[in-house]
Amino acid sequence: MKAMARVLVRMLSRPGTLLAISGIMVLYTLLYLWLTGDIAGGGRGGWSTAFPAWERALQMRGPFQFEPVGLISFGALVWTFSPLNTLLAAIIGLLVGVNIVAGWWLRMRPRQCGLGSASSGWVALLPALLAGGACCAPLILIWVGLPIAGIVAGVAPLLMPVALLILTAGLWFSLHRLTREGA
Amino acid sequence: MALHILRYSTLSVSLGLASMLPAQASPPSQDPPQVPVAYSIEEFQEAIRSGGPGKDGIPSIDRPRFVSASQATLSEGDKVIGVYHRGQARAYPQRILVWHEIVNDEVGGDSLSITYCPLTGTALGFKRGETEFGVSGKLVNSNLIMYDRATDSEWPQILGVAIDGPMVDQGLEEFRVFWTTWGAWQERHPETEVLTEDTGYVRNYRRDPYGSYDPPSGYYAPDSRRLFPVMQRDDRFPPKTVVFGVRSPEGALAITQQALRDEGVVDLTLGERRYTVIHDPGLDTGWAFYNPEHVDIQPAELDFTAEGVSGPGIASLEAVNGFEAMWFAWAAFYPDTYLHEKQEQP
Repeated sequence: MKAMARVLVRMLSRPGTLLAISGIMVLYTLLYLWLTGDIAGGGRGGWSTAFPAWERALQMRGPFQFEPVGLISFGALVWTFSPLNTLLAAIIGLLVGVNIVAGWWLRMRPRQCGLGSASSGWVALLPALLAGGACCAPLILIWVGLPIAGIVAGVAPLLMPVALLILTAGLWFSLHRLTREGA
Repeated sequence: MALHILRYSTLSVSLGLASMLPAQASPPSQDPPQVPVAYSIEEFQEAIRSGGPGKDGIPSIDRPRFVSASQATLSEGDKVIGVYHRGQARAYPQRILVWHEIVNDEVGGDSLSITYCPLTGTALGFKRGETEFGVSGKLVNSNLIMYDRATDSEWPQILGVAIDGPMVDQGLEEFRVFWTTWGAWQERHPETEVLTEDTGYVRNYRRDPYGSYDPPSGYYAPDSRRLFPVMQRDDRFPPKTVVFGVRSPEGALAITQQALRDEGVVDLTLGERRYTVIHDPGLDTGWAFYNPEHVDIQPAELDFTAEGVSGPGIASLEAVNGFEAMWFAWAAFYPDTYLHEKQEQP
């Protein structure tokens, strides 16, 4: 376990990998918030912020969905800001980032086939993205025009735990193999 | 012994205090309901689906705030749900209600709930008595299932009849609300008040997550597909085609919006009762009446004012509630509906 932690620390202490993980985390967070509708259009230009509802920060509006506490308007975009939604998105984004970088490291090792581990980050993206899409405004389903929102809504409570489980398991396996192979 | 006395004293005080707490009365109801129920309660219960958000995940507005028409920041073409009750006019912008679905309000001294389901394009008003309605997070036929906070009974909005809980099989008392545009409503009711974005919640009220009504696009486009399963499919029209629906204990009837516009007055028989539906060109909606004497109504002789429709013969008619709905939802709730569509010219 200590060896795995050392690999993780080494991964995060390299500027290149840290930058890659941070980039993936930020991109994923923005994508998740956009899919859940926290970030959307409707802005009227300029920049403004208002935080009138901090008391609702812990109030849930759906499975793993929390009430926004403030409105951040920037150009054409509006962000209904919920600290917990953002934190949740960032945690999954971080896990996705570390998974992908760990998979990349394994792939770069000459002695083993890292395909399984490398793809785990990408495979884990699927439930994570679905968790983002299965919100009260099923934008993707409207775009695609498929009458399957009933099915997605039914499994929505499971999507986030499944995403976290796959990402954590994927990371554990990748770190375990990197440790074994003396990364 | 002293311990027993202490226990009983505490229990008595607790029960006494509990009886002093205000108990919410159930909403005013009709038993039996005055609307048709096409399926058994068990069939409705089996067709319930999760809509995604949890109970109150879509929060009702329980402390609505209003501004005058001159202070409203709405465009002429913006959709609003209008209420005119006991001389008081209020407009509820669709772009606010799409995020809340229910407003628990008091209008003209009465406690009313103004409800809107974006997935079925339906706006209905219900008398709520001393309780409030909330959004259960469940759907049937894609339609909002409300719950009342006194008994926790569950009421599909279009049906207006409880399908679960202590009030099962009872109907709610409805009142007329109008699905129209801000321009039309303001012209009819210049003194109207308008619901503000100060709802107590943070939402992006400048954006409708489903699409747009001006012009219809996204989920609201006539040809777009529904999202949730329905109990009965009817493909005679594109799913989101707007119909004006009327219900009575004898059954349901629907008139396509286009037919109502073109014909002005539509006379229909449901069971053995005659109904007359009059198109209001100002609000672009219908006024439905039970017409027991089969009075002939001439559209050219009618006036449309804040109080409603007036003219020769109107006094002998009895107003019946009616509302616009997406065709797929109306047909799902009322598979045996009488349908009046535009007659093709020979």
